[in-house]
Amino acid sequence: MSLAVDVPTEAEAAGKPAARRPRRRRKSKWRNELTALVLLVPALLTFGLFSWWPIVRGLLISFQQTNLVDPAKWVGLDNFRAIFADPLLGTAVENTLLFTGLALLIGFPLPIVLAAVMSTVRRAGGVYRFLAYLPVVIPPVVSVLLWKWFYDPGAGLFNSILGLVGLGPYPWLQSPDTAMLSLVLESTWAGMGGAVLIYLAAMVGIPTELYEAAQTDGAGIWRRIWHVMLPQLRPVIGLLLLMQLIGTIQVFTEPYVFTGGGPQDSTVTVLLLVFRYAFVNGDYGQAAALSFLLAIALAILSAIYLRATRAWSRT
Amino acid sequence: MRLVRRTVAATAAGLLAAAALSACGALAPSSSDGDGTVLRVQGMPPGTEKAALEAFNRQVAAFEEANPGITVEGTTNVWDPMTFSAKLAGGSIEDVISVPFTEPQGLIERGQVAAIDGDLAFWDHAKEFNPQVLTTLSDAGGKLYGVPEAPFALGLVYNRALFEQAGLDPNKPPATWDEVRAYAEQIAERTGKTGYLQETKDNQGGWQLTMMTYAHGGAMERQENGKYVADFNSAPTKSALQLLKDMRWSDDAVGENQLNNQADAIKAFASGQVGMFLGTPGTYKLAKMTYGMEDIGDYGIGAMPQAGGNATLSGGKAYMIPASVSADKRAAAVKWLVHAYGQPQYDPAIAAENAKNLAADPKAAVGVPTLPLFTAEQQLKIDEAIKPYVNVELANFTPYLTGTPTLELKPEPPFQAQTVYTALDTVLQAVLTDENADIDALLTKAETDVNTKLLADQP
Repeated sequence: MSLAVDVPTEAEAAGKPAARRPRRRRKSKWRNELTALVLLVPALLTFGLFSWWPIVRGLLISFQQTNLVDPAKWVGLDNFRAIFADPLLGTAVENTLLFTGLALLIGFPLPIVLAAVMSTVRRAGGVYRFLAYLPVVIPPVVSVLLWKWFYDPGAGLFNSILGLVGLGPYPWLQSPDTAMLSLVLESTWAGMGGAVLIYLAAMVGIPTELYEAAQTDGAGIWRRIWHVMLPQLRPVIGLLLLMQLIGTIQVFTEPYVFTGGGPQDSTVTVLLLVFRYAFVNGDYGQAAALSFLLAIALAILSAIYLRATRAWSRT
Repeated sequence: MRLVRRTVAATAAGLLAAAALSACGALAPSSSDGDGTVLRVQGMPPGTEKAALEAFNRQVAAFEEANPGITVEGTTNVWDPMTFSAKLAGGSIEDVISVPFTEPQGLIERGQVAAIDGDLAFWDHAKEFNPQVLTTLSDAGGKLYGVPEAPFALGLVYNRALFEQAGLDPNKPPATWDEVRAYAEQIAERTGKTGYLQETKDNQGGWQLTMMTYAHGGAMERQENGKYVADFNSAPTKSALQLLKDMRWSDDAVGENQLNNQADAIKAFASGQVGMFLGTPGTYKLAKMTYGMEDIGDYGIGAMPQAGGNATLSGGKAYMIPASVSADKRAAAVKWLVHAYGQPQYDPAIAAENAKNLAADPKAAVGVPTLPLFTAEQQLKIDEAIKPYVNVELANFTPYLTGTPTLELKPEPPFQAQTVYTALDTVLQAVLTDENADIDALLTKAETDVNTKLLADQP
């Protein structure tokens, strides 16, 4: 390192050093970007190979007929035509929307209510949080098998308890009228723990001054919830609503393990149909095509939802 | 300098990741190089079945000694359509797969398994297989795609203890479907248990309705102008469904839970909750070894009850070779099939040796009767050879063994059986969960739906 570096040259003194410094800065910036890019390589490779390539491959297979052994045959839109000709498609879409609607009606408000109640608890709050989150820790299939026993029409837990007060027995999973509702109840129980904790964290973050100010203005408990708590939770509610919509439209485990789509196709969902195409009938092209259609439907739904709630989230 | 080091480190990390990912491609299943052929085969018993595992390892050692250059690696993997597809696509499928009898026709139709006739020709007894057993493993042109293990015909499994409690003779299971109805009602009435359990989901309802239709003299598919169409909208299937409807709504003899698959049925049977269900003698092993049936002596099985059809469906499992396996390795795999499953089911001495080894484990089931894989005379020799080691209550299989040979053994529906089964699951569920179900209307709708699909997939 020589002094000369630090001493301004004649040219620099004349106002020309600006020409050299940006070049050095550009070089340094380029190096930084290269470093960032190299650091990104593992993640890009991992996502590329295990996430994006399968998506692209799935899209390609939806236009092919393949047995996964011989070279795939391009069949144009045949797979899509076959799907639309399937008499079960309409039923599966209706059932999926019914599940989504019921889950929205029952499963969406419940975590907010529970979180609101838990946020008021002064002692042993951890115990309630643990209990609320516990079902999330249980593997989904185990939960379903447990509830299958609860729902047993003969010696099941629910009918036994309801029988004590003279109610029932109810058919639960055995009737097309109540099977979907039964699936929603279990999935609400199994999945709401995470949402409860998120709402709880958001509620704790609401400044208490807001409640106090509202109270001073004479607001009762309901007005404080309606005018203070819910507006403060809007962004979280918006995000969780979207996540729930996407999650429930992709429902699979519950109908697969509980009912296999029955009784009388009353719980056949779109994803269960995808499963049957691929792993029962061995038609991977049709399975990929239906998955692709589902992905498009979800993307459109998300876009509509985000547009519709943009203004609402901002206010 | 720090920047250079960081760049080098990041590059190294990137390369490492790339190397790790490319190593995934090295998870190739088996090799066939200059050092010899490595065969990866399904069918290795799990560690919990100690005697069976030891017998398998002895088989492997003997095979490798007799076939220098071929190494066998066993896996405990069993048939699973999801992992099968993924492994087939990823090139990591085993060279020999174990497949239940409900699957071969679909696999053959889709070209996912290889024909083995040519490679099997070296074996002296290749032409001596029982043709009835091979129907499920052959294509329309008669090419063979697998070797069966313990082939069965479907029959009626029943609980001998519940029969006694209900005042029925445990040595005389029902021979007709009218008797099944009467017995089921009696069991339900006198014991409070499910008289007869019908499977209705995961395509197993359609599978069972197929055997009932055969027993009533019907068929599931027929050919029309060279194409397969549904044939179940007919009197035999309607009679079978009407019988089940009466058992459910008039007799209250089929229990409360109407969403069952085969596993649910065996589980309920093993816990003493079910009087009768349709199954193969293979369910004995599952009831004893998987579901721990307390008194396995209560297990009884009769031939498929009849209602004019004088027929039943075949069942069991087979070993097949995926179509992705190379020709030279396929030849080695066929040698293994002959060594592990063909010869032991043909040669009384090997069968006796295997039975002796298995009998060392009291939890194992040795001597569960099967259909003859070759001629009836050959099967008699095998039965005689393994007699000293049999630990199942053979007397409880007598009604099955005497009744089944009089029946015609029919295969699964020849084209897209699973499509037929899916539609019939729904019909069965409707009949058993809706008192006002209209059988004619249900079958007409199922026929239309099935034909739409079948015709769309036939050029």
